[in-house]
Amino acid sequence: MAAPHIPNLNTLRRGRGRGRGGLRGVDASHGTRTTAKDLVVQGTDNDASVSRLSAVELGYLGDPFAKALTAPENATRRLPIINRGTYVRTTAIDQLVDRFLGLPSSGGTTQKKQIISLGAGSDTRVFRLFTSRQPSNLIYHELDFAVNTSAKIRAIRTTPILQQALDIESSSNDVLVSEAGDALHTSSYHLYPLDLRSLSSSSSPSELLPHVDTTLPTLLISECCLIYLSPTEATEVVSFFTERLLGPQTAPLGLVLYEPIRPNDAFGRTMVSNLATRGIQLQTLHKYATLEAQRERFRGQGFTSGQAVADIEFIWNRWVDEEEKERVSRLEMLDEMEEWQLLARHYCIAWGWREGDDTAAFNGWTTLPAQPGE
Amino acid sequence: MSDLDRAIEQLRACRLIPESQVRELCYKARELLIEEGNVVSVDAPVTICGDIHGQFHDLMELFRVGGDVPDTNYLFMGDFVDRGFYSLESFLLLLCLKVRYPDRITLIRGNHESRQITTVYGFYDECIRKYGSANVWRYCCEVFDYLALGAIVLGASSELEPTGSSMNDTTQSTMPIDDGELETEVLNSHGEVTSTSYRPRFRPSSVASNDSRNISPPRDISAASGSTGTPTRTGVPGTGASADGNGSATTSRTGAVLCVHGGLSPLIDSVDKIRLIDRKQEVPHEGAMCDLLWSDPDEIEGWGLSPRGAGFLFGGDIVKQFNHLNGLSLVARAHQLVMEGYKEMFDGGIVTVWSAPNYCYRCGNVAAILELGEDTSNGGTIARSNGEYGRSNGVLGEGNTVVSPGRRYRVFEAAAQDTRGMPAKKPVADYFL
Repeated sequence: MAAPHIPNLNTLRRGRGRGRGGLRGVDASHGTRTTAKDLVVQGTDNDASVSRLSAVELGYLGDPFAKALTAPENATRRLPIINRGTYVRTTAIDQLVDRFLGLPSSGGTTQKKQIISLGAGSDTRVFRLFTSRQPSNLIYHELDFAVNTSAKIRAIRTTPILQQALDIESSSNDVLVSEAGDALHTSSYHLYPLDLRSLSSSSSPSELLPHVDTTLPTLLISECCLIYLSPTEATEVVSFFTERLLGPQTAPLGLVLYEPIRPNDAFGRTMVSNLATRGIQLQTLHKYATLEAQRERFRGQGFTSGQAVADIEFIWNRWVDEEEKERVSRLEMLDEMEEWQLLARHYCIAWGWREGDDTAAFNGWTTLPAQPGE
Repeated sequence: MSDLDRAIEQLRACRLIPESQVRELCYKARELLIEEGNVVSVDAPVTICGDIHGQFHDLMELFRVGGDVPDTNYLFMGDFVDRGFYSLESFLLLLCLKVRYPDRITLIRGNHESRQITTVYGFYDECIRKYGSANVWRYCCEVFDYLALGAIVLGASSELEPTGSSMNDTTQSTMPIDDGELETEVLNSHGEVTSTSYRPRFRPSSVASNDSRNISPPRDISAASGSTGTPTRTGVPGTGASADGNGSATTSRTGAVLCVHGGLSPLIDSVDKIRLIDRKQEVPHEGAMCDLLWSDPDEIEGWGLSPRGAGFLFGGDIVKQFNHLNGLSLVARAHQLVMEGYKEMFDGGIVTVWSAPNYCYRCGNVAAILELGEDTSNGGTIARSNGEYGRSNGVLGEGNTVVSPGRRYRVFEAAAQDTRGMPAKKPVADYFL
């Protein structure tokens, strides 16, 4: 295969990046001082990418981008229950995203939509979506600490398949990279170096995220992200979107969360104390400790059209069809059934939405099995 | 001091022995194990232990709680290796003890004592990391192939000798029935009784009231502690039987106890059929040998498919029938994590014993060991029935009812790793972040 032409992104950024007002806003926004705790939280992204690569290499997930976004020295084989958990988490969010984006109509197009991923880190979803959905008709935004966005931009710069996925090599697609190498913008992909805690103090939401189209149906994703913030901060981050940035608009808005729950039983207590020894604090865990607390959280934050939640064990049992379950079960001998159930009951996916002016925007979500009870 | 004693001392300190010594140890162990049948006969008193999984410091805690070898007889039901960080130290210590005190310790095979499973769950990697090659892993796997598949415990007493100072035995226990037998007793790691159950004393003249209650583990062991004073244990742990028995009423009517790592197999309807298996091989993916190491009891009728992908699920009816046909009063098995350390099912016909506290440094569970006392009422004579006990009677009639042995569970928590002057890597458990 002939090597594709790879543009030198270093030359692209000169001048052109600074030509837009938006980037100045981005540069000015990451003034929050980095603390030791932040470094630990930033490091959790590495855990996630190593787990993803392990699941990919064993055949749980198809993801050609996993390797490019994992530091090779960290690559390791995870235990079967971790691989299965990574599989369920990833495919469940994929399913929610797919149902939000919808299937192309007979004309081959989908309605234009937008995804905003909070604390996206090394997540590969944007590359997978742009590759699998052509034309994607999707604007994808990722927000994270500058150290994480910089790492991602470095990976994009050195990896042809990532550039292809973003359609960067075509000359028609303007690529802008900030001077510091921590912000990147194409016509459909935006990477912002942002400390989420700085959102609430911003006087001008649209200046902070200038590329967000507030008229589009929008999906917010937090994969183990908001849980590291204090309850107040986490609420403020969501409110920033629901009330301020997208508040005045009537476009449909949804939120998908993936995070631990049930901290109060023996497994949960051990999880909290084990993570504490690594300096990791799951700050909202006790506030949203149950399925019902998660549903209430969505109601309270304005996702009034629907709120649902399910733990990972429920999703494995109910969302994964039998044939696929059998395929996955065959990949590795999963001996530790009891441990799997324990682990899987302590993570959940929660989803909720407000319809706005399009009552059908989240129709695809209403048929997904949700877990009743606490 | 012999080389073996030196090796034991070194391993007890969580320090490995040289590769050449491992090789020699494994050779001796195989010579010993090859003489054992597929089902080893073990006399009570004995302390039955479940999965260890390389949690060396917790194994030391187990010995502290249950008594040391050779003072206490032990029966380990497999899964010595994988998952924890000290599979080598744990397994090699147990193997040394086996070679040093062959009649005091019995090791049977778990599903993790297998080449295939150990390459996925950590033991292989640990051998490479600690010895620099796969040699030690290979020696150990050869030993695995010779481990027995099960054990039959004979001569267990139906009644427990009370531990004496039970501080709290009215809160979570059935009230002592007048002249009742102490059937089960649960102790915490301080030796304090947290729960007891009694059954009416057996009377040969009447139909025995086989009151084998399905005792449930206490919800919160720690809640029951915090009392005055630590009771002193009488006698050596594991020898809980009374010195003179309690009269002739308790003759040797306690059925044998089958110990196996996983459970039953649809291909095995008698203990004798286990004896016919050619066990000296890697654990197969299916068949009787695989089932014994992989199956689980479940609240179903008959047999079901196992979600583990090997072995089967089996219901209470299967256990009842198997026990009846083989003159067994109890199947003791391990294999499944139970948060309370032990779990009796099917009217006490089967018990799961789990001996790895805070499993994988993540699960938050407590662990347990099961002590069966010695029935001394027959003057020490044990009905050597090899599992055929009672079968010739056809329907078990009056006076021949097989009752379950008295069962003492000692529940314990994970050891504090840094208090013993032993090397302890800070365990890092995986989570989704």
